[in-house]
Order: sequence, then structure tokens, then C-alpha cells
Amino acid sequence: MHQITKITGYVAIILVVLSFNFFLPRVMPGDPLSFLTGDPGMDMPIVLDEEMRAELLAYYGLDKPLLQQFYDYMLNLLHGNLGWSIYFNAPVSSILIGRLKWTLLLVGTATAIYMVLGIMLGTISAWKRGGKRDVGLLTFILSISSLPSFFLGMLFIILFGIKLELFPIFGAQTPFMRYSTPFEATADIFRHLLLPATTLVIAHIGGVYLLMRNSMLNVVGEDYILTARAKGLAEWYILRKHAMKNALLPITTMIALRVGFMISGTIFVETVFAYPGVGILLYDAVTYRDYPLLQGAFLIITLVIIAANFVADIIYVRLDPRVKHE
Amino acid sequence: MAMLLCSAFSGAAVAKEEKVVKVGVGAPSGDWGYPSPFAFYPRGPGYIRMSFGFDTLTWKDQNGVVIPWLADSWEMSDDGKTWTFHLHEGVKWHDGEPFTAKDVKFTFDYTKKQKIAFKWFQSLDYIDHADIVDDYTVVIHLTKPFTPFLADIAGDVPIIPEHIWKDVSDPSKFTGYEAVIGTGPFKLIEYNKNLGCYEWEANKEYFKGKPVIDKLISMAVNDPAAALTTGGIDETSFWGQSAEAASGFENNPDFGVRWGPSYWVLQVIFNCEKYPTNITAFRKALAYGIDRKEIIEQVVHGYGISANTGIIHPDTEWYKPDLPGYEHNVTKANEILDSLNFTDTNSNGIREYPTGEELEFELLTIGKYSREAELIKSQLKEVGIEIGVKVMDWSTMDAILKEGNFFIAINGHGGIANPRILKAPDWPASTFHNDDYDSTFKAQEKTMIVTARKELVGHLQEIIADDLPVYTLYHPKMCCVYRPEKLDTWFFTKGGVGIGIPIEMNKLVFIREEAVSTPVPTMTLPAPTATPSPGPTSAPEQPGFEIVFAIAGLLAVAYRVSRRKK
Repeated sequence: MHQITKITGYVAIILVVLSFNFFLPRVMPGDPLSFLTGDPGMDMPIVLDEEMRAELLAYYGLDKPLLQQFYDYMLNLLHGNLGWSIYFNAPVSSILIGRLKWTLLLVGTATAIYMVLGIMLGTISAWKRGGKRDVGLLTFILSISSLPSFFLGMLFIILFGIKLELFPIFGAQTPFMRYSTPFEATADIFRHLLLPATTLVIAHIGGVYLLMRNSMLNVVGEDYILTARAKGLAEWYILRKHAMKNALLPITTMIALRVGFMISGTIFVETVFAYPGVGILLYDAVTYRDYPLLQGAFLIITLVIIAANFVADIIYVRLDPRVKHE
Repeated sequence: MAMLLCSAFSGAAVAKEEKVVKVGVGAPSGDWGYPSPFAFYPRGPGYIRMSFGFDTLTWKDQNGVVIPWLADSWEMSDDGKTWTFHLHEGVKWHDGEPFTAKDVKFTFDYTKKQKIAFKWFQSLDYIDHADIVDDYTVVIHLTKPFTPFLADIAGDVPIIPEHIWKDVSDPSKFTGYEAVIGTGPFKLIEYNKNLGCYEWEANKEYFKGKPVIDKLISMAVNDPAAALTTGGIDETSFWGQSAEAASGFENNPDFGVRWGPSYWVLQVIFNCEKYPTNITAFRKALAYGIDRKEIIEQVVHGYGISANTGIIHPDTEWYKPDLPGYEHNVTKANEILDSLNFTDTNSNGIREYPTGEELEFELLTIGKYSREAELIKSQLKEVGIEIGVKVMDWSTMDAILKEGNFFIAINGHGGIANPRILKAPDWPASTFHNDDYDSTFKAQEKTMIVTARKELVGHLQEIIADDLPVYTLYHPKMCCVYRPEKLDTWFFTKGGVGIGIPIEMNKLVFIREEAVSTPVPTMTLPAPTATPSPGPTSAPEQPGFEIVFAIAGLLAVAYRVSRRKK
């Protein structure tokens, strides 16, 4: 029963978000045509006369009444058709998939690393609170994490990319490399991934580390830890079996939220490293007022966040048997 | 280094003898759409990339002269409405089919029918229909005489193969392998939208001669100067402020630098319908209050020239010299404003309207030009006008300017080598209405005799300089930096490629054998006077050391704190 209410809840959220996604971009001043036919770049302005303008609007279906467009959009969605991007002149779904795979790779790798590292370091810090290790770690992580991500990125590019020439400085892979083995392809992608992923890890690890540290400190003060110690259990065992599980609860929530926003939030790193991700795509879509692309991108982000929440719910229950479904 | 490793692994993938040239574009651009005639993004670089695979009837050489291309010769009827083209024989499409007159007729009929598919440029309304006389002769009938036809339509519309496009109903969405089969010097091998990369291989049977390189790659890089230094790319271009990076390459024997006109202008747009900017004298006062030299020094560090008040770029045949200028003159500005009764009655440094309110209004612009906007704000303050700078994104500003809901705005655009740009001098606004101007513009489109047409275009510039619907600020300088051992035939086409694209990648660059001698422009651009900034390789020394010291300092602090606790 509660399962159904829960799912209905999610569906309702998705519908509301879809409506927002549709109407909000159209409320912004300007329209897709202003970028399609002229922007203050190096270029010749294409002066549209009324007739051309009307034809273009009709071609993209933008001249129909708003509700009609909304209805068409919803209908297409049900068939899995996300529409056609006006600026990029390609199906929205293919653009999104192309960019999403790079963002997921970058964000996924970085998240996995900083999660594990953050949790480990946070635990070490909390277990020996006040000690040299704790204070050292605290200062170090806080200071490097407070550096803005794009600054770190640029620093890495200069140090490792240009001066030491260890890593490539842009893109997700070497353009048009013909790989003769999948190993070679993986190696190339890995080399392009290292610097941006490291930048992301350093930028975000502070949050997880602090939260884990605090959470752990709370747990360490609990009575059951005292009992466990009184029972004579090994420190290591207490840490793993009792402390960690409890301390991880707030982290789960945090990571679920983080993952959702990371998809769109890595725009700085993507810009600095010219990494073709969804962050930059979103920014471009807003600038170009590319309605179908905007709607598609927001939809994906919403779905990811909702999915992350859903997964977090499930994990939470598994971690903490006290939380039962009513 | 990645390339070395990969080629070591792959061995046969890249033949040793192959000549590959890599052109870099600053990210996030680099992607200009699929290079078929109907799918490229309607921007200069998009057209250029399409033009590598497709040819036009005529083309322009380095000096901007219209030369035969797919057409060997042509004649125009006396009334200017009929053009007969004699096509080059023996040209083949990339798939081996022969090119004939039926392809030309089909191209013009098809593009006219699919009105909005070919987005670069319109004016296909001028075409009435095309007739085939024989396999290599085609006659094009215009609806009315159109002088720029040879350069702007015959030299712009790419000829497409009838046998492929006759079954395509939605050309903008047609993006298969067949969509890029043309007659051009390069065949597209691969296009990656996400990475913003294109790869072409030479068309060895190209009718104008085999290209001098085997492969051409265009890609997006986040820092062109750095990529050029490390060898990731072999050529890139800089303009305006970014041209400072070129100074790091100027005295380096491994690199060549060529300068050219950017055919771009930054201008202040006035609202000629709204008070007080609808008063011509008021606009002139503002012009006298603006200091263009200061803007050029401060914002583009000298990498720009004072703009022609008549918009048309000085390095073209249409340029009318000696137009009235409005050199920075605070006294004159004050005089005019006083005579218009905008006086500072309460002595707070700001003038008032005759009705008593403070003389203040908003200046709209986009993020790119916010520095120019701030400078103008401070300059106009000196003559007693209070300006509020409002920065917004392009789509928003475009909408506001079209509505006419502004006083002044700053915007820039290219295309100023071609008189067609003068149709709407205050684009994207449209508040300037002048009958003499409109009729002169229409007349120059029909005037066949070049000297007469130049007169008319000159008259248009005079009107702009006198009435001042816009006040032009500067033309940025542009250069390309390249590695000569890879390719050194780069040149800037006078008047721009096609209808006026200022890019140094005219197809002729890849077909010529010998290095290009510097073309003689009608106006020698002054050498860059900016103080050279340290090149890209010297800057990175600093941050590395500072960070190491910072971290060391922090660790020391942490250590001392922990010691005190014990």
C-alpha cells in the first residue's frame, strides 16, 4: 500500500516538474530564433524578415498555441521522443546520451573516490579526535577543499599538462584516435579523465570528510560503544560493526542529494578541461533558448535526482532496521 | 605525448608520409554542426567547414577578386536579370558521379523550394528559375537585377548533387554519409559533435588541383595558445584582446604570425525614436563624450583600430575615407548639451532634462562588452550624464532592442566587408528610419557599374556618419598563428570568404603550393602597439611555488597547534 502511495508521489513530482520545465523557459525573454540566426560572435548578422521568421517558427512548431505545444510535447514524451534540438540540429536524446556518458564517467569516478576517501579519512579523524593526525587532516582537507574547483583545474592544467607534460589538457579523448585495442582506448580515456576527476575529488571531499567526522564523533559518544569496549571487543571490530554503520546514515542522505546535483553542477570543471558534459550543455541550452534541449536536460536531471532519492530510501532501510515502513 | 604512445601501439593507423594539419578553435565552440549544406550552424566557421566539401559557381581569391570555380566563365544579359554560366567539364562528385548542369539547376530550384533550409544567406527570392541549355551550360533568371549576385549568391550557394538530394524532403535533418558528398577539395571522414571535431581527407581528384595536405582536422581546445605551444594543434587564430597571446609567438622562429582584418565592429546603438536619443545633436554630443582611444587601450590593449564612423571596414573596396569623426572632445560635448538646454541647475555634476529630472538612463549590453560599457559610463559622467550599465544575455537584449525599449546599447557584429550589412545599420534594433538612406540602399543593389555603386555605398556611410544612428567604436585586429613546417600558405581573404567571413581558411590555402606573399591592403593597418604580455610559457612559474609555500605553511601551523595540545 505504502509502496503505491510512494510511487504515486514520485509520479506526481515528475508531472509537476515536467510542466515547470516546459513553461519556465518560454517565460524567459528571447526565443530560440535569436540565436539560430544571429549572435554577436565573429559573424554576419542574419537579418530575418517577417516571412522567414514565420516559416522558421512553423518549421519548429513554435507558432502553435502554447497548450497545443505542451500537449504535443507530453505525447512525444510517452513515445520516448524527446524532440529535436533547434540549435544543435540533432535529436535531443542523442545529444543528451552523448554528453551524459561523459558526465557520468567523470562524476561517477570522482564520487566513488571521494566518497570512499572521505569516509575513511573522516573515520580516522574522529576515532583519534584531537590527535596530531586529526588536526593535520582537518587543516589540510579544509584548506584544499576551499579552493574553487576551476582554480584547481587550471592549476593542474598548468602544472601537469603544460610544464610537466604528463597529461593531455583538454577533452575526453584524443580526437579521432584509431584505437587498435580496447586497452588503448581505455588508457586514453583514463589519461584524459585523471586531471578533471582529481579536481572534482579535491573540491568535494571536504564536505563528506567533515560530515563523516561529525557523525562518527556523535556515534562514538553513544552508550553502546562504551558497552562494546567494556565487553573487551577489538577497536577495529567496534569500528566496523557498530560505529560505521550508524555513522553512515547521514552520509547516505548527503550523497543521494549530491549525486543529483553533481550531474549539472560540474560545469566549472567541464569548462576548464573542455570536457563534453551535461553541465556545459545546460548552460548552452539556456543561452541559446533551445527549448527542446532545455526540457530534455531538465527532465534527465530531475529523473536522476528522483532516482537517487529512491535509492537512498532503500539503502537507508537496509542500513538502519529501526526505520520501518509504516 | 598521448599521440606518440597511441601511434606506437597502433602502428599502421597513421601512415608516416601523411601530411596532417590540425586547426584549433577555442572551446566551447569547435562544433559548427554537420557540414552538409543544410545542417551547419548558420555561422561563419560553420559555412567554412561546409565549403571544404562543397563548391560554388564562383569563389574569391586572396585579393577578394571573383574567380571562376565550378563555372569557367559567365555572361550577364544587358538588363541584369539573366546570367549564363559555362561550367567546368570533368568535375566529379565524391561518389564518382559526374557533375553537370542539371545539378546546378536542381540546386537553385531545391534551395528556393526548401526556403528555410539553407540558412546562409537568404535573398534566394532574387532567383526566379534556372534553365539547362546543355550538359555544361546553365542559365539563371533573376526576378530583378541584383548586382551582388555573382559574389553573394553564385559565390555562396553550394552546388548539391541532384542524384542524392532529389529524394530528401527534410534537408536540415538529413545527416548521413550521403549528405556530405560534394565536389569539394576535402571529403569528410568523421564529425564528432561533442568533442567539436571534424576530420577530412584530401580529394585527390579535385578539379582545381590535389590539396597540398592529406588530412585536415579541426578541433576544439580549451586554450589555443597552450595547445599550439605543446603541438596539440598546428594553427589557430586570435582576435581582439586574445590577440595578445600572439605576441608570445611573434619572435619565435618555430611559428609564423599573419595579421588580417576581422571585419567586425563594436558600436553604440542609439534609439532614434525615443527622447532624448532621438535628437541628432544629442547623439553627437554623446559621441564627443566617448573616448574611443581609451577604450581600445584599456579593453583590447591596443589590438584594435578606431572604427570607421560609416561602419564599413577600412580594408575593403567600399570604404569611404574622410568621413566626419567625433574625436573625444569634452568641451564640444558640453557645448552641444548646453545648447540643447540640458544644464546642471543644481550643481550636482549631473545635467537635468529641461523638465527638471536628472539626465540619467540605462545602457544595455551583454557580458562580453561590460568593460567597454563601464568605461563609457565613466567617460559620459565627465560630461554630466549618468549612465546605469545593465548587463544581460544575448537573447534578452535582442528581444528588448527589437521592441525598441531602450536608450542606448552596445553590441558588435561582423560582416562589415559587404555593403549588404548596411541594410540595417542599427541591427538588431530598427529605430532608424531615413527615406534617402533606404532608397540609396535599394539603388546600390541594382547598380551594375562598380564606380557608381561605390558612390552610393559611400553615400550610405555618409548618412550614418552624419545622422549617427550608431556610433562605431573599434574594429578588433585579427591574426593567425601557425607552424610553418606543417603548412604556411594561410591567408586572409580581402573582403572575407564567401559573403564576407573573415576566417583564414579559404579553400585556396590548401591548394596552393608556394607560400603566400603578403597581400597589399588598401589601408595598411598600424602595427600592434600593445605592451606584450608574458607568453604562455612564462606565466605558470608563479602559481606552483606559491601553492607549495601555502601548503607548507598550513602544515606547519597544524603541527604547532597539535604540539601545543600535548
